[in-house]
Amino acid sequence: MVDNWPHSSLQRSDGSLTEIDLTPVEPSSTASRNKLRNRLLMGGVLVLLGFVLFQALTSARVFFRNVDEAVAERAEIGDQTFRMQGVVVTEPAENSRGAITFQIAFNDVEANIVHIGEEPSDLFELGMPVVVEGHWEGDVFASTQILVKHSESYVADNEDRPGVGENPTYESESNDGVG
Amino acid sequence: MTTEMSPESVSGPSSTDQSGPESFSTTASKVTTVLGWLSLASIAALLAFGLLISPPEISQGESVRLFYIHVPSAIVCLYIAFSITFVGSVIYLRKQSVFWDLVAGASAEVGVVFLGFTLATGMLWGKPTWGTYWTWDPRLTSTAVSFVLYLGYLAVRRLDMDPVARSKRAAILGIISFANLIIIRYSVAWWRSLHQGTTLDPRDTQLDDSMLVSFFLGLVALSLTFAWLVIHRFRVAWLEHQLEAQQLEVAIAERTASAGPTGLAAGGA
Repeated sequence: MVDNWPHSSLQRSDGSLTEIDLTPVEPSSTASRNKLRNRLLMGGVLVLLGFVLFQALTSARVFFRNVDEAVAERAEIGDQTFRMQGVVVTEPAENSRGAITFQIAFNDVEANIVHIGEEPSDLFELGMPVVVEGHWEGDVFASTQILVKHSESYVADNEDRPGVGENPTYESESNDGVG
Repeated sequence: MTTEMSPESVSGPSSTDQSGPESFSTTASKVTTVLGWLSLASIAALLAFGLLISPPEISQGESVRLFYIHVPSAIVCLYIAFSITFVGSVIYLRKQSVFWDLVAGASAEVGVVFLGFTLATGMLWGKPTWGTYWTWDPRLTSTAVSFVLYLGYLAVRRLDMDPVARSKRAAILGIISFANLIIIRYSVAWWRSLHQGTTLDPRDTQLDDSMLVSFFLGLVALSLTFAWLVIHRFRVAWLEHQLEAQQLEVAIAERTASAGPTGLAAGGA
């Protein structure tokens, strides 16, 4: 319970006190100028923070697209890396080269995904909302990472309840963000 | 809180007596003893409900149990701990009250521990559900920024400088850091995010009863534990403050004596 708070360093182990400089300090004539400089500096930092926040808000949509937007903007996106979100609408399959292929959809627009990379989590299956990271290669989205978005609802796994596959409760959310 | 401090509990050891811990009064009181036992009891209940009684989740399975500590821990540090730091910082700047400065510091210190716990449990939960421990998602990123901000706040509190100026700087940082909590709160609404949104919608009937009980037990257990830790942490800081003030008085007395009758008037060293 007794921790090493810095003030206790005033006391030496032999019990005497370390000397404290009690000489009166001359009031600085540049104090008010320093104060103004500090305020300007602080204002500058705040403006910079605001700028970063604004940039993040406006560019977030570019980095995180829904399938329909990503398809519509395919030409201007080119081969840039970005994230695309949608719901898995076809049963994921493994092709001959070991890639996982499936389709995701958002607002009724579908996209073909070919995933080469780390295995997605066990929750990855038909009907789950996912975020894939990668780039367009022609009409196909080459994914390097699949992240499964779990929903806000938690349902007890009772024996009398049907499994997820038979009861896909996950729908594409209208998560449009700011952009 | 101050009313529980008995006069002898702040006496501490005298400045020339480097004696053992028996000369320190305990930081415990009747209230904290009761609080400590209640914390233990609620943690036991949380373990029973969270690990044994509540069912696994339909798609996540067993990993849903992290929900009962991850979310309460986030609520305790982001809403309670850093709000106390914010309020304490504002009052300190207005009234220069040492009490509120120490409350702000104690709350931030324990809050950072809870925030670290929130990040750790979140990462452990992210791997089996999302498929990754970490991703630069708006909520994760803003929470990590807060963690660094409050670590910085604690670092400022330990700067080797004039205590009053140091407390002022800490208070200003305590207020600025609070702004980021608003970004964390609304990050899932402002940006597209992998992190789920607000879970506790009162109309949400999807949460199983025993899951809801487990969650609220988590909230109670972590809140009580937080309160217990903060009160003790504050009392240690308060004792240290008393000790420091006492040592300064002794130092001044020693110096006055050594300087002789005209020593201080001549401007000292």
